[in-house]
Amino acid sequence: MAARGRCPECGSESLVEDAHYAQQQLVCAACGCVLSEGLLTTTYTDEEHLREVAYSQSTGQKEQLSRCLQRGIRRVQDLCKVLQLPAVIEETAVSYLQRALQLPAFHLVSLEKKELLGGCCVLVTCRQHRWPLSMGTVCSLLYAKQELFAGVFLSLQRELELSVPALSLADLVTTHLSSFQLVQPTANIPTAFLEDKEKLVARTMAMVELAGETWLVTGRHPVPVVVAAAFLAWQSLRPGPRLSCPLARFCRLAGVQLPPPAHLRLRELQDVLLAMASQLSWLRGFRLDRRTVVKHIGELLQHRLLLLKRAFSQQDTALDKDSVSQGCQDGQGQQDTALGKDSQQGSPSAGQQQRGGTLRPLLPPCLIHPRKRLQAAAPSAAGAALTGDEPISDSEIEQYLRSPEEIRAFSRAKAWP
Amino acid sequence: FKDDFSTSPHLFTPMSPYDSELPIQASSQLSQSKELHTDFSSVDLSFLPDVTQDKEQNLSEDGDETQKELDGSLPSKEDSGVFMDESSLSHPGAAQPSPEAPGVCPPLTPMTPITPVTSASESSGIVPQLQNIVSTVNLACKLDLKSIALHARNAEYNPKRFAAVIMRIREPRTTALIFSSGKMVCTGAKSEEQSRLAARKYARVVQKLGFPAKFLDFKIQNMVGSCDVRFPIRLEGLVLTHQQFSSYEPELFPGLVYRMVKPRIVLLIFVSGKVVLTGAKDRSEIYEAFENIYPILRGFKKPS
Repeated sequence: MAARGRCPECGSESLVEDAHYAQQQLVCAACGCVLSEGLLTTTYTDEEHLREVAYSQSTGQKEQLSRCLQRGIRRVQDLCKVLQLPAVIEETAVSYLQRALQLPAFHLVSLEKKELLGGCCVLVTCRQHRWPLSMGTVCSLLYAKQELFAGVFLSLQRELELSVPALSLADLVTTHLSSFQLVQPTANIPTAFLEDKEKLVARTMAMVELAGETWLVTGRHPVPVVVAAAFLAWQSLRPGPRLSCPLARFCRLAGVQLPPPAHLRLRELQDVLLAMASQLSWLRGFRLDRRTVVKHIGELLQHRLLLLKRAFSQQDTALDKDSVSQGCQDGQGQQDTALGKDSQQGSPSAGQQQRGGTLRPLLPPCLIHPRKRLQAAAPSAAGAALTGDEPISDSEIEQYLRSPEEIRAFSRAKAWP
Repeated sequence: FKDDFSTSPHLFTPMSPYDSELPIQASSQLSQSKELHTDFSSVDLSFLPDVTQDKEQNLSEDGDETQKELDGSLPSKEDSGVFMDESSLSHPGAAQPSPEAPGVCPPLTPMTPITPVTSASESSGIVPQLQNIVSTVNLACKLDLKSIALHARNAEYNPKRFAAVIMRIREPRTTALIFSSGKMVCTGAKSEEQSRLAARKYARVVQKLGFPAKFLDFKIQNMVGSCDVRFPIRLEGLVLTHQQFSSYEPELFPGLVYRMVKPRIVLLIFVSGKVVLTGAKDRSEIYEAFENIYPILRGFKKPS
């Protein structure tokens, strides 16, 4: 608080800006002489003594933003810091949040929902910048209920009329695998289980593409598919020691949570691989099952385009002119056209049997294993002739009314509130 | 008949607002089979290229002439094969100079306009089945819910949970919410008539319980239908091409939510090919919405 100048009485340079109650005074620290007193107005020279305060730290900015907006912005900034998102995403998310909180649809919602609004803005912005961020991650960071988050997300999309592109699995693979601890050497992971990140990512991407082509991804949660694909890819890169490691242990070693549907996705992927393996002539002798097919994933992925065409029956097949021959039967081209109608029924069907059984249809699993549904009664003719104005018999209505004894019994039981 | 375009533009002008949606209103009088289909359960669109697509008013005078003219022009029309040429089709009929007496035409029942599919051969042949109808009716008297719950066997009333009596009847199998203001909501019926009958039965029950219930303002509020297109659908592709209408979030819901603008119907489309249509006030809206979505879904049928 030292001020420049000299005391006129004692000549010391130790001048202090002090206040006598509320009145500013410039006082000499040595002799106590008051050099000047505070004025109601400050002159230009006086203002040199004043300190600069940044606008963001002054109360001016805060007064313009409401408290819930401040809280929301802080939440968005914290989320972006935790997820290590680039600055452009943070700025866009904050702008979305400001726009959203001005709308009546969000201004008047419960505090619980307002907490989630920041997370939703971050998620929308990440999707638009193709930064793979799953809803599960954001929900766990916000300790949010999935249904509530879903509601806020959808209404945000609707109110701000934002186009939110879909989550791309390829990007999700890269970010998900980078969090796996199996790609970095650590103490408690056996060396046989460590894997090179590039190879793992490349093979997992191929597996995920295969899953997408065989209808295992549409309509399903993306993360379990990625986990199952990563597991199979990891096993296949070094089958020897890894084949005996179950999925749960793999997730524990990798340091990721095992999502419950991952077991089902794993089984579906293995079934697809088995179907494809049945089309490779040199594998047919092996009698593969779900576990052992993993050893041959490399070859299966290499020839997957052809194997997909051959292994699954298609409704409208195109002739496969450029069939890469890997010991393929001579009936290959005829096989495609002979699905049921050709005169050359004999040899293609024999060839088909030789391939090891009937072809699996290329359909989503829900169509291959349909759940038994209660067949709704078809609208009967009597129902169709209904006019809605039929007479209603008294007896039919009386069956719904209580008899006096019942009423007495109920009142006595005092079951009524 | 392409030249008629220039000679009679005044007759063509009323048609232009309807170019994109050509009402098939007069088909009934000109079809070879004289059946009138009030619902679209067996609409056979294969006959459409043979008939004119002009508006009812323009044809009421030229009815007979149109038919004669078109019967003659049939062979040439079949060659064109492009369905969208209907606007020029109307010209042979509209360009007829002398209007005939309208007495010859049978009375026309205006059919609800349906947006035509791109070609007659692609009509789906699938009819959505109605699964649920929600309707409301006003009983126009104040009700004592406790008394109703005490005197009726099929009623539940838990005021702490919900401020209405929940009543059910067996035939038609429906559920009703009865409020103390006298308003009632009836759900679960499979057709409009069933919903009306059920609502009347509930009103009768309330009457028998001693209240002067009436049956005012019965209105269908929502209709839900479902059907199966019988092939799997690539939802990821559909959301890319129809982004402004679709919302597909596999992390939230396995189906794609398609909000159709005309008619204003929400469709839930699943990978298995099952489609649920909801938000309709009238049965025809469901049929129309399905006929609109079917060609779009066909585009995503290709396996792998």
